[in-house]
Amino acid sequence: MAEKVLESHVVRGTVRPGKFIVARVDRLMVHEVLGSRVIPLLDRMGVTRVWDPEDIVVVNDHWAPAPDIRSAVIHRRNRQFVSEHGIPHFFDVGKGICHQVLPEAGLARPGELIVGCDSHTNTYGAFNAFATGLAATDSAVIIATGKCWFRVPESIRVEIEGEFPEMVTSKDLILRVIGELGTDGANYMAVEFHGGLVDRMSVASRMTTCNMSVEAGAKTAMMGVNDAVREWLKRRAPGADWDAVEPDEDAEYYRVMRIDLSEEELGPMVAGPYLPTNVRPVSVYEGIRIDQAFLGSCTNGRLEDIALAAQVMEGHRVHRSVRFIVTPASREVYLEALRAGYIEALTEAGAVVTNPTCGACVGGHLGVLAGNEVCISTSNRNFRGRMGDRESQVYLASPATVAASAVTGKITDPRSVV
Amino acid sequence: MRDLHVLRGRVWLFGDNVDTDQIIPGRYLTILDYSEMARHAMEPLRPDFASEVRRGDIILAGRDFGSGSSREEAPMVLRELGISCVIAETFSRIFFRNAINVGLPAFALHYSAPLVAEGAELEVHPEKGYAVVVETGEPLEFEPLPPFLMGLLRAGGAVEKFVADGGMDWEAIEEGTD
Repeated sequence: MAEKVLESHVVRGTVRPGKFIVARVDRLMVHEVLGSRVIPLLDRMGVTRVWDPEDIVVVNDHWAPAPDIRSAVIHRRNRQFVSEHGIPHFFDVGKGICHQVLPEAGLARPGELIVGCDSHTNTYGAFNAFATGLAATDSAVIIATGKCWFRVPESIRVEIEGEFPEMVTSKDLILRVIGELGTDGANYMAVEFHGGLVDRMSVASRMTTCNMSVEAGAKTAMMGVNDAVREWLKRRAPGADWDAVEPDEDAEYYRVMRIDLSEEELGPMVAGPYLPTNVRPVSVYEGIRIDQAFLGSCTNGRLEDIALAAQVMEGHRVHRSVRFIVTPASREVYLEALRAGYIEALTEAGAVVTNPTCGACVGGHLGVLAGNEVCISTSNRNFRGRMGDRESQVYLASPATVAASAVTGKITDPRSVV
Repeated sequence: MRDLHVLRGRVWLFGDNVDTDQIIPGRYLTILDYSEMARHAMEPLRPDFASEVRRGDIILAGRDFGSGSSREEAPMVLRELGISCVIAETFSRIFFRNAINVGLPAFALHYSAPLVAEGAELEVHPEKGYAVVVETGEPLEFEPLPPFLMGLLRAGGAVEKFVADGGMDWEAIEEGTD
């Protein structure tokens, strides 16, 4: 599938795994990196005109609203750039996390080649796009030329059948997958997700699954289009033309993984410090005391995640020694959660609900950890110091497991709370 | 143009899975000045690194160096401190790409690195694809980089190459990039 998208975008070179090519990019997403790093590079390069204002998306999301002067300056630079170059797709403070707001605006479509200056750009593979993360220099070159060099990736096929058991989610599934692959098990490769469960998955669950593929090193993750995605695109990108890609019958794979949840009993999974691939069943970590529980990020800050947390919290309160921080991924998610009563229920139960931002996940603001504090989080990374002090510890889990742990004050199997 | 025939420097040893949050923690990313930011390089792993490192020093690391966030600040702070090259068993793809883009040579061994003492003098021959421990003569071999990527490194990174050529010379991509 990845090769097919590159094939339709290549301008130089031969699309074969391992080869280097130059390809045309459909869309570039840049966030605070534009203001902090890309604009100085464009100045150095003497670039005064962007390749196509329509195809550059700018988001102020990592430190939103600005917690300090430095981020305020970066945000202002982004606003100036957007206005100077007439960039229509600009999502300022409060709109949400890039990987949520692009799809909401219908800017992630099947068969597209999307590049973002953020490693979790893989998320758009949920919409059948070849989407990959890179950084400032590549972004500057794309802003100047609309093109980028790529090494054509090999592909890994992951087949998933069966149904999720109660209180088990796509987060537990992707943790299980990357736990098996390891931190570099998919390095440089494209991961394709297929199978009955993937076809039945909600858009949000598909996004969670593709999002964390990068924790196994994946260059991109892709899924075929399903009914939920078709419905989403009809509503979000009504006039848009798109061509979905499917793998050839005889497609070659570096590796094939098969997971059948009717045979394999998948329970809640937790990744312990300091690697997202350090994954064990929740029972291994159960009982570890926590100081903070965080629900949010581009991985798990969507409506179904907040709904699940609210369901787990029903009839309970946040434990007195825990800060339970809930950060919806976008304004749209926030409003939906508000209308559904989840925000009220969670706030009454003792949670702190914040505005949409990358915030706590990047150790930026709204939930930074002190030394020796322990956090259970729905986010994607538990590297040393990621969410605060180098002596803090982060455990990654599903919204259900995070909410259940917020209730008891220790890492808890959600099935024991509900 | 940068001369990349021979690089020589003292070795700093790092293990497997050195992610970009270790190379430069997220909370320093809003610092606009790289020399100020570089004072925090490798802080979570080795708080003394930034003050002890000397220009020309070399990082020798294990598997999957530079995993995690796509931040280009990671190779930039190493370059800022004068690291002449990074040799690792393997690199995470975004770090590798960013390193070449900012002109920081990065070479992958694709096998378990031999035991090299920290502080040992290493002589690296990027074009020939090998390095030697000066005192013992122990060799470390790696695949030389394709010409397109070496061209970016010699120019001092993709931006400098763009400036020198008055635009991106994409034609170089087809030269022996197998």
